[in-house]
Amino acid sequence: MGEPDAKLDNERRAFIKKVLNGTIAGSLLLVIPMPMGAATPEVPEQIPGIRGKKWDMFNQRFAFIVDITRCIGCGSCCVADRREFNVPEGYYRTWVERYLKDFNDQVYVDSPNGGFDGYQSPRTDIDVEVRDTFFVPKLCNMCKEPPCVQVCPVGATFKTPDGFILVDRERCVGCAYCIQACPYSSRYLDPVTRTAEKCTWCYHRVRKGLLPICVNVCPTSARKFGDLNDKNSEVYKLLHEHEVLTVLKKDMGTYPALYYKGLRREVV
Amino acid sequence: MKSSFNSHIKRIVLGLVVFAVLGFVGKIVLTPKSFGKYGPYRADAIDEEANQEIRHMTNASCLSCHPYEANIHLTGLHKTISCEFCHGPYADHVKAGKVYGKLPVKKREEIKVLCLRCHNKAIQARPGEVIKTVIMPEHLEKQKVKVSHTCDQCHHVHAPLKYINRAKKIVGIKEKS
Repeated sequence: MGEPDAKLDNERRAFIKKVLNGTIAGSLLLVIPMPMGAATPEVPEQIPGIRGKKWDMFNQRFAFIVDITRCIGCGSCCVADRREFNVPEGYYRTWVERYLKDFNDQVYVDSPNGGFDGYQSPRTDIDVEVRDTFFVPKLCNMCKEPPCVQVCPVGATFKTPDGFILVDRERCVGCAYCIQACPYSSRYLDPVTRTAEKCTWCYHRVRKGLLPICVNVCPTSARKFGDLNDKNSEVYKLLHEHEVLTVLKKDMGTYPALYYKGLRREVV
Repeated sequence: MKSSFNSHIKRIVLGLVVFAVLGFVGKIVLTPKSFGKYGPYRADAIDEEANQEIRHMTNASCLSCHPYEANIHLTGLHKTISCEFCHGPYADHVKAGKVYGKLPVKKREEIKVLCLRCHNKAIQARPGEVIKTVIMPEHLEKQKVKVSHTCDQCHHVHAPLKYINRAKKIVGIKEKS
């Protein structure tokens, strides 16, 4: 009497085993993340020749070019920059200025909220006939002779051998000498940590082969960034062609690595 | 006595030695590790900066999981616009390969504000060869639609001329060139 029942039991057991195995395998596939979605997803390299080899600290040359003839003042760069670094409100690592020139050669500059909200309306506070108007994005100039580094009393801000000027948040005492020394006003004192902060040209992104975030989001490619050691890069070509590229406050002898294309002489 | 004749010198020398040793020990203790590797700063700070969290990825990383949007976005005039500018950073959406938060999608009036960040002709500083600009109520009146219309009722936000070109094709309007 027990014979057929035992057989049935065995079959049932095997069936349940199969179902359970299938369920577990299926749910594991859903739970375990896909390999492409690991901590650093497989995103295409934006600056060629950085990934897959050791970072050569002493042989890097980067340049940043801002083409102000292409800037439309949308403020994408400002928005992305604030999100990338969680910059507190009222402080700017990068910002966009609006220049306006009238027929008496008077220059008016404004930058409501650093261009973060974009420029939705023309200037209403002045009543002049506009002769010329344009946007100028500003950021750290990454000087070859940085005044901010020279004045730091504790060695908290420094120029790396690969040409970036960075801030060591652990060493900074928040004396704000560097903020006064910077001729381009690109530094601020973080209200929370009380240490100096500045644009780093997205050093953390560049080291991983990605473009700085403001360059990445710029819809008109007014901002260009690239490796000067790479002869095929856009910045190399621009710097070696017959383009008029200027730097801000040349007479201060800071030798910026940030160049402007189509810059008017009114811009300071 | 000879010994007491030299004792003040011995005391000064001893004091100097103690001072030097204390100073030396103090310098070793207080100087951060990796200080002076490249210059008068802490070299480890470079790596700390380099290892910061990347909050924004690229359009390629967004579109690899959103093929439907990719199909539209990459064929339109808005292909140079970053996904993350309108929708928010990648890090707020995906964490360790898993969806972690929902990113906002702009609706109605918000869309109008967003479009006019770039396409407002009232801001004269926008070169015509870079971007097509419009004056707002005037553009709607000229196209003979209600002035309450939002931009996305005619223009697909990812490919602004998608519906317009399709409508032209159906009606048979030839493009002036």
